[in-house]
Amino acid sequence: MKNFRFLILILFLLFADKAFAELTVDANHSHIKIDFFYHGSIVTISGQSDQNADLIIKVSSPEGHQGFKKKGKAAGFLWMNKGELNFEHAPNLYFLHSTKRLEEILSPEEADANTIGYSALGNHIKITPVSDENEKTKWFEEFVKFKESSRLYANSSGNISLTQKNSGQDFSIKFDWPYEAPHGDYIVTVYAAQNGRIIEQAETNVSVEQAGLVKALADMARDNGALYGLISIAIALGAGFGVGLVFRKGGGAH
Amino acid sequence: MYLYLPVALTSIHVLIPIGLGLVVGLLSGLFGVGGGFLMTPLLIMLGIPATVAAATDSNQIVAASTSGTYAHWKVGNVDFKMGLYLLAGGFLGGLVGVQAIKVLRAMGNADFVIKMTYVLMLGIVGTYMFIESLSIMKKKPTEEIKTDNENKIGIFLKRIPMQTRFEKSGVTHSALVPIVLGGFVGILAAIMGVGGGFLMVPVMVYILRMPMHVVVGTSLFQILFTCIEVTFLQAYTNHNVDFILAVLLLLGSTLGAQVGVVFGRRLKAEQLKILLACIVLAVTVKIIFELTLSPSILLAQAGGH
Repeated sequence: MKNFRFLILILFLLFADKAFAELTVDANHSHIKIDFFYHGSIVTISGQSDQNADLIIKVSSPEGHQGFKKKGKAAGFLWMNKGELNFEHAPNLYFLHSTKRLEEILSPEEADANTIGYSALGNHIKITPVSDENEKTKWFEEFVKFKESSRLYANSSGNISLTQKNSGQDFSIKFDWPYEAPHGDYIVTVYAAQNGRIIEQAETNVSVEQAGLVKALADMARDNGALYGLISIAIALGAGFGVGLVFRKGGGAH
Repeated sequence: MYLYLPVALTSIHVLIPIGLGLVVGLLSGLFGVGGGFLMTPLLIMLGIPATVAAATDSNQIVAASTSGTYAHWKVGNVDFKMGLYLLAGGFLGGLVGVQAIKVLRAMGNADFVIKMTYVLMLGIVGTYMFIESLSIMKKKPTEEIKTDNENKIGIFLKRIPMQTRFEKSGVTHSALVPIVLGGFVGILAAIMGVGGGFLMVPVMVYILRMPMHVVVGTSLFQILFTCIEVTFLQAYTNHNVDFILAVLLLLGSTLGAQVGVVFGRRLKAEQLKILLACIVLAVTVKIIFELTLSPSILLAQAGGH
């Protein structure tokens, strides 16, 4: 009897799945080139989903280690760096946009399981050294503040525009891509949620690459430090002398 | 117009670093200081990572101090002999200072000691220069500048062997004196992570008794070599000199330095000293504020100051 019910449930789910418009996602600007005049970009994420689904769009860089200096009070009243703080499994960039407030569309467990939202991210990131949960929360909040001030973390609800169609809905969101985000690959994931659970997800990529002079200089600074240093010094000496000479001529004229 | 900085990994409006360079270059042409105490924190405020800010600033100072040294040299205000002795001492002091930081770090509390040394040094030097030049400006007409204080130090300095004449400065000292003083400034500069111009200038004025205008030229000459070394080491070992940022900064600072030298020639020694004292005191106050006011964000990128 139990097995029979289970079978029906599966059949129902399979059938129900067919009824959904398939979730798709696309980024208009999947290759961002950082050239000499780069000052950030604008990215539009769009796609289609089932009509009834609430949507969550997450853009993040691969997780990794990030080191910080923490400020604290020395001798009771002087603010200075007091030791280091390490964040593990922390993405450098994390944007989260949803059609409604996250609490309304996703259960906390489901959010945690997919690292959706600051609260889930806070549970996911490991911070050392901290003595207790309160301290961890405090430093995670500081971490988010730091990241938001460099425009690398952002969080919004209600900014995804939706257009209803017979077969489903078109969604799209347009946002500034910050120049503070370094070159690398970024993952865009769209989650469709219903009744507090994720029912479908789709993924695409945004890759940011250095190009031209920026790439040449960055590569040289990294791979050929000695030559890079000597050229930097030579240019500085040349510029100093050059300006000195120009001024002497200018000075002699009057 | 915005340009992307390939090492700092951020974008900046070109007029900001050019303007910043102009101001700091002006200070360096006027007073013979590198201006790192001003430039590095401002660059960090603009979103440049701390390590890149410090390294790139030293690259920029190479240009500003070349420009300034050249302008001072044309009017005979560089004492090359004194500069080289100070430089030799500074080099040795730098080596000792780097070891001293390691010891401090191992003892813990390094940041506290460093910050306190910095504030105290700035405060003492600034206050002393301010009071001294003010008192000289008050008794303008007479030329009784020689004080008891000078005689005591002067007599002591005269007793040290290896006395030699520094023609350009018009002073006679033991060769050991500038080497030891240079070493002392070098140690402090390395510990505090600054170029040390604001310490070297008062040392030359008050202990070596060099004329103010020669002090400025000689200090720039000295800073030039220190910053060449630092730029190379930063580029070679830490890869954090941003070439584009340095070029933008030096566009302003090389010009600023020339203007500074021209202005400086119109000012009297005491006027120059009291202006420098005011700047040093202003920096002291700023650091005290930073230390006592609650910061808005309690985290800073690791690797900087």
